[in-house]
Amino acid sequence: MKVFNWTRRFSRRGFLARGAATVAAVAATSGKVLADAQDARTVGPGGLKPEQARTLVVFTRDLFPHDQLDDSFYQRAVKPLEDEAAQDGSTKQILALGVAWLDTKAVSVAGRPYAQVGEESKRVAVVTRLKQDPSAPRAFFDKVYSTTIVSLYNQPELWPKFGYEGPSSAKGGYLSRGFNDLNWL
Amino acid sequence: MPAKFDRNDSSVVVIIGSGAGGGTLANELTQKGISSVVLEAGKRIEITDFQNDEDAMFALFTWLDPRTASGSWYVAQTSPDLPAWISKLVGGTTVHWGACALRFQEHEFKTGTRYGAISGANLLDWPLGLKDMEPYYDRAELKMGVTGTHGIPRLPVSNHGKVLFAGAKKMGYTQFLTTNMAINSVPRDGRASCQQTGFCIQGCTFGAKWSTLYTEIPRAEATGKTEIRSESQVLHIEQDQSGKVTGVVYADPKGAIERQKARIVCVAGNAIETPRLLLNSSSNVFPQGLANSSGQVGRNYMKHMTSTVFAVFDKPVHMYRGTAQSGIVMDEARLDTQRGFVGGYQMELLPQGLPSFAQNIVPNAWGRDRAWIVDNYVNVAGVWLIGEDLARETNRVTLHPDRKDKYGLPIPDIHVDDHPNDLAMQKHAIGQADALYKSIGAKRTVHRLPFPSTHNMGTCRMSENPRDGVVNRWGQSHDVKNLFVSDGSQFTSSGGENPTLTIVALAIRQAEYIAEQMSHAAI
Repeated sequence: MKVFNWTRRFSRRGFLARGAATVAAVAATSGKVLADAQDARTVGPGGLKPEQARTLVVFTRDLFPHDQLDDSFYQRAVKPLEDEAAQDGSTKQILALGVAWLDTKAVSVAGRPYAQVGEESKRVAVVTRLKQDPSAPRAFFDKVYSTTIVSLYNQPELWPKFGYEGPSSAKGGYLSRGFNDLNWL
Repeated sequence: MPAKFDRNDSSVVVIIGSGAGGGTLANELTQKGISSVVLEAGKRIEITDFQNDEDAMFALFTWLDPRTASGSWYVAQTSPDLPAWISKLVGGTTVHWGACALRFQEHEFKTGTRYGAISGANLLDWPLGLKDMEPYYDRAELKMGVTGTHGIPRLPVSNHGKVLFAGAKKMGYTQFLTTNMAINSVPRDGRASCQQTGFCIQGCTFGAKWSTLYTEIPRAEATGKTEIRSESQVLHIEQDQSGKVTGVVYADPKGAIERQKARIVCVAGNAIETPRLLLNSSSNVFPQGLANSSGQVGRNYMKHMTSTVFAVFDKPVHMYRGTAQSGIVMDEARLDTQRGFVGGYQMELLPQGLPSFAQNIVPNAWGRDRAWIVDNYVNVAGVWLIGEDLARETNRVTLHPDRKDKYGLPIPDIHVDDHPNDLAMQKHAIGQADALYKSIGAKRTVHRLPFPSTHNMGTCRMSENPRDGVVNRWGQSHDVKNLFVSDGSQFTSSGGENPTLTIVALAIRQAEYIAEQMSHAAI
């Protein structure tokens, strides 16, 4: 069984720290969210193409599908991958090959590239093959999964969508804010 | 004010590590007038550096130096390069710990005789018992301010605790309450009381949780008899021809190699680094590793049987609000072989913040089913099942045959094959937790098999006979009179309880012994 790798989680700390700073800045100026996401798609020469980045956004949503989240959360989740691809040729190649694999399979299953397939069930069928087919680019799945599972859920803006109130020390903890207010038992 | 000792001062006690064992030992010795130099591999940070941020704190103070895991245990599959989740900073894992402060039970010190011969296990009685430990447990509890002991009030029950206790009651359990916690329920000992932040394991921002970082260590420094050298990783323990230890070689914060002489060396680097250091300190006298004439250094590694059961309800729980682990069911901690295994287990609250929960709930799963669990985060309760695992000679810390750290020393490999008894207990515990939550209406439960180990024990165990273990009943090496082991490596069995209180009690006890031996010039 292939399972989540803690090591990968911490080996990415360097750019996660930068990513966290970006997220915080975005949170502070939420009007800029979309603009920032668009800027991300025009990172310097050598970065991913906009349509590749778009495919990663759709793919990440299919991995972690939360209907209460609009695309901006998935765009920010993918941003560390885009940044890394812009600086590191091997990452760019892993992502480009993976996107190409998704598109090829999507065309054979649904007649169009992955990001343009409207039916979720058909995209899910492609991802299932990505996980099961021994010739599929597993490095691509692992790279996107292990990166975005952190960069998606670490966005403080996202937490209220799940009812999570997050940091509490600055507010005096939960001592007078409901730590023992449960009354349905 | 902190002392400053010359590196050639051979009168000092050198303590390696500053966590529950090393930090406590330094303060206990220094209060008796004995000078010590504490060498801590991690950096020194302060309470003001703690943030309510799971990932940032994981990155800030987790021990991330390279390690490998092997064997059939789940952790070797899920986190082969991070088998243990412990800390690297001044204060050690007492910064990160959940603060459950439980005493071992009498029979847990006597597993060799009480459990009988068990195939594939290497059981042995501790060379001491609960009666020997009781006065030191008392002193540890008073030092740490453990709730529910010595008249210290218990912490209040959180939402998360209410859910656990309602299920426990339905199950017919009777021993459930807020845990004995080393977290102030009222202001005490110059520290604030718990504000129910929910971020205990990221470092308590209020200092309500006991940690050597801001209790034992500054107190030791204030005597002018203790020097803490942070970012100083010990690489080798030096010996003379008689086999006595004479000092240590360590890398200073800039990576320069230094030597500190010592009258006594106490190793408290936790049950992975402690045996690794001894194995890396072989010599003509000890060709198979320092203090290893028994061949037991690194063997009998224990990490507790663990698993977590999360339950999804229809209504909000908000498990992240409040003292993280303050809630326990102790009914299954008894010795009762009718259940199909020896030893027992505790059921302890285990909340997670949304990021950790979402990242870890079902390793490597994707799609709608996994997302549904995360969507229900607010309605989730979680319980950690932690029980005794059995010593096995083949479960061990060894030096990796190929991989080296940045100092050129072999990294540790942690090999574990679960004993059938551990797996039988795990199955029982998960079944009981499932039943507990379902008895009060859980829609679904999710089983999370072990996380990287936070409880690490047994790799330099105590024994009556030098043939069977590494240290005696005082944590003193059988082979080398002025060498001590002062952490959970000493444990002869793992018990069904969180290890820290026992580590602290043993350190208090060991300090008395060292002082007494020094006064006779026996060491």
